[in-house]
Amino acid sequence: MKHLSDLLPWTRRPRRAVATERAVDWRPGVPGLSGALSRRAVLGGFARGAAVTIALPPLVAMFDAGGTAYACDGVLPKRFGLWFWGNGMLPDLWTPETTGSGDAWALSEQLAPLAAVKHKLCLVTGLSCKVDNTIPHGSGMAAILTAAAQIETGSDETVAAPSIDQVIADQIGGYSIYKSIQTTATSSSGQSWNGPNSRNTAEQDPYAFYERLFGDTFIEPGEDGEVDPRLGLRRSVLDAVMDDIARLDARLGSEDRVRLEQHLDGVRELEQRLAILEENPPNLEACTKPDALTADYADIDGRPQITERNAIMMQLTAMALACDQTRVFGHYLTDPVSDVLFAGATAGHHDLTHNEGEPQPQVNAITVAIMERLADSIAILDSIPEGDGTLLDNCAVLCTSEVSLAQTHNIDEMPTIIAGSACGFFKQDQHYRSLSGENATKLLISLQRAMDINVSSFGIDSAQADEGLTDIEA
Amino acid sequence: MFLLAFALACQEPATPAADSGVSDRGEAPASSPAPPSLKRLTGAQYRNSMHALFGEGVLLPNSVEADERIEGLFAVGSAYTTISSYGVEKYEKAAYDIAEQVMDDDELRARWVPCTPVDVQDDDCAAESLETLGRLAWRRPLSADELEVLVLVSAEAAVVLDDFHDGLEFGFAALLMSPNFLYRVELGDGLTGGGGSYTGAYDDYEMASRLSFFLWDSIPDAELLDAAAAGELTNDAGLLAQVDRMLADDRVVDGVRNLFTEMLHLDELDDLNKDPTIFTYMSDDLAESAREETLLGIEALVFDDDASYLDLYTTQRTFLDRTLAAVYDVPAPEREGFGEVWLADDGGRRGFLGQASFLALNAHATSTSVTRRGIFIREVVLCQPIPDPPANANTAIPEVAEDAPTMRERIAVHLENPECATCHELTDPIGLGFENFDGLGRWRLAENGATIDPSGELDGGAFTDAWTLGQVVADHPQTGPCMTQTMLQYATGNVADDLDETLVDWHTDGFSANAHRILWLMRDVALSPAFREVGEIQ
Repeated sequence: MKHLSDLLPWTRRPRRAVATERAVDWRPGVPGLSGALSRRAVLGGFARGAAVTIALPPLVAMFDAGGTAYACDGVLPKRFGLWFWGNGMLPDLWTPETTGSGDAWALSEQLAPLAAVKHKLCLVTGLSCKVDNTIPHGSGMAAILTAAAQIETGSDETVAAPSIDQVIADQIGGYSIYKSIQTTATSSSGQSWNGPNSRNTAEQDPYAFYERLFGDTFIEPGEDGEVDPRLGLRRSVLDAVMDDIARLDARLGSEDRVRLEQHLDGVRELEQRLAILEENPPNLEACTKPDALTADYADIDGRPQITERNAIMMQLTAMALACDQTRVFGHYLTDPVSDVLFAGATAGHHDLTHNEGEPQPQVNAITVAIMERLADSIAILDSIPEGDGTLLDNCAVLCTSEVSLAQTHNIDEMPTIIAGSACGFFKQDQHYRSLSGENATKLLISLQRAMDINVSSFGIDSAQADEGLTDIEA
Repeated sequence: MFLLAFALACQEPATPAADSGVSDRGEAPASSPAPPSLKRLTGAQYRNSMHALFGEGVLLPNSVEADERIEGLFAVGSAYTTISSYGVEKYEKAAYDIAEQVMDDDELRARWVPCTPVDVQDDDCAAESLETLGRLAWRRPLSADELEVLVLVSAEAAVVLDDFHDGLEFGFAALLMSPNFLYRVELGDGLTGGGGSYTGAYDDYEMASRLSFFLWDSIPDAELLDAAAAGELTNDAGLLAQVDRMLADDRVVDGVRNLFTEMLHLDELDDLNKDPTIFTYMSDDLAESAREETLLGIEALVFDDDASYLDLYTTQRTFLDRTLAAVYDVPAPEREGFGEVWLADDGGRRGFLGQASFLALNAHATSTSVTRRGIFIREVVLCQPIPDPPANANTAIPEVAEDAPTMRERIAVHLENPECATCHELTDPIGLGFENFDGLGRWRLAENGATIDPSGELDGGAFTDAWTLGQVVADHPQTGPCMTQTMLQYATGNVADDLDETLVDWHTDGFSANAHRILWLMRDVALSPAFREVGEIQ
């Protein structure tokens, strides 16, 4: 059987012989790396009363014939990021006057903070969300992240489809310890969705995030450690849990079955993670364990330390990418409708977008501050060398919000920036403007293609698009 | 202090039953039960259950998977939302952390490992321990298959780690991260009791679980499980006896506190965000104090006085600590902690709607919000959902001007613009009634130098200020029925559409005939067909 290490030079090698022979081999076959197994296949198996797990050929199924599908120059993996903020921008101050590449366009007032990273951006303006704008902030969020209208039930709303980060993570997230990681610089819940009523809540505690990524189980490349026998035992426990899930699943109605299936996904992801931890970490040069945290990130006078929190969450995220702990991240500076008090503002952000008089100088200042945080974040990704370039070069980071002008909940003229070229897939230092208000879903198609996901159509109903934005593809 | 008072009050468990309301309205009408749903334990239920098993001293994770509201309640959300992989990861970590604490603590270990192992691997002792913990954690006896798997997991770990208890830790962790612990498996399919097909009613163990999570927000105790084992929870007399026992138990205080925390959104006080340069009485402990004020008041109303739920909106009795006393401008009743305060007749403030928990939560970071306060009354107190505003509307409130010094003049645009007026007429006139309280809940008579006019009308009930508005809310014909609906949804996890309207009305009649007493309603709902009967799995 082929192993990942046969396919990609950077990948993991087996660590020293596992110290633990299984004392009691009662379990059904445990696939080591089973990310490619479809959920439906597993649950279909359950429904027929079959055994818990199904052995799979590890990973091979996920690569194209050349085995390089998800790697830059055959060496480094591609990564996808979502960098989100709430409450949009002011289109008149956002959109640069000219389009084109390089010196042909200059940053606008609101984009000015991005000057240092302009050469690694692809700015797209003029895209429209093609859904009925019925739910303030909700319709736009769902359109730009899930390419579908929201589902409304009474006064409750939820998404109809998974968000783009999960769509991509389903394809490229299976090799790493975490299928995706989700963070916020405030107390946002985040907008990463597996489907209706199924949110991947963003981590807001930097200390918990550090512990999760770089705590006891983290092993630096080259570090010569014994395999912790508990890892294998924990996998045995997860098998027992999957037994329980299987027995329970057979008794459930269809809706609950889908919900339990999501739980099973989580268990399987955990089991795979433990399996990966039993191997040597990938030999990635840029991977080092960050220093333990010491700072206090608590709010000061009712205002979050957004600059500091954003920086630490992005630094940890960047190192998680560099260590191949994950290949997909979502980072939410703030959520839709966020009413966070920014420094110097006399009211919450959302409050101001509706109630500040024209020309909304405070809203403008907040948007500029948000772009400063975006600039910080991009610079962090760009500061980690990888191959001939940087981590950022191997990423495509979609930077967006749920509206353009928040005052009127406008979902035309959406703010969309792609940072990083995804190994040369996207043009750089580019401002592309859609004069016809093209469907924003096109951008989501291009982003999937940038991750080598072969997709020609995406989205639901009016939000569906059947082509990407070829003008921004290199 | 309330526990004591309650214990006295509840020495006559027949109190709720003795009232005539039940017979006045006749037998429960024929109704169609809602289909079953798999509910994940809420964060509070998870914590309460762990405390019930391992004591208050056990260290629990800072966060488990976040709860989400549907129709205003986590209880409903828990039946619809799914768990993320990060959530699964957190449950796994917590299970090991807790199992380790149990094994490391002599007392806990002695309780949960009631036997002395004869060797590193001792399957009999492991089975005995797992069976005992499993029955409580899973709220039912474990099947032979289930137990066998757990014993094997423990044995494998014991051999690898060369220690019986270290091995059993893995078995305990498996119990605590199993879906049989994390989800409430109440399906009415007869399988728990050994049947296997649709039965039309929840079985005994399912009833034990439903009762304990509804009334205690926690797992059943041994006595309740024994009653289930004896088949007592599926007959009227046995059920009645257990419901009355549970309502007389201290743990019902946890249940009532959680019910109102969910209903009144008190958990959201965790994220209360106020600009302290504007609200100089804002402090780090204000949110927690405000929540406790509300909950202590509810405890007093429900347990000390067994008073009408409607009194929540008019009572002058409240409980303040120094932080809140300063906000309310009244003398602090105690140097430390909370003390009882009777708010003055002329102070303008009374009832839950005069409390910081409501006033501060339903306001902006730097100002009040008449719309949010109005929406809260409509949606939470009256069960009248307000639609979202049209997405493309400009919802700006004009800034303060010479001819518009107070919110009443500024908000007038909402009510003039026909597009906005449809909904804002339903909310803003109510919210204006609270304008004597700033965004934190401090009393004020003027805004920008102009006297505030807090008068208005709510569905035909005129009020002159927040004081009289409290009475109008208490008298509103929808307030009692809304509490009934909320209680039924909280107990069953059903969305409103899945509740049988005739049955809701029947409970409402009883609630009204029994002086709107919360404990009476909880008892009535626990005995309800909506709580005991189940529709077919869909």
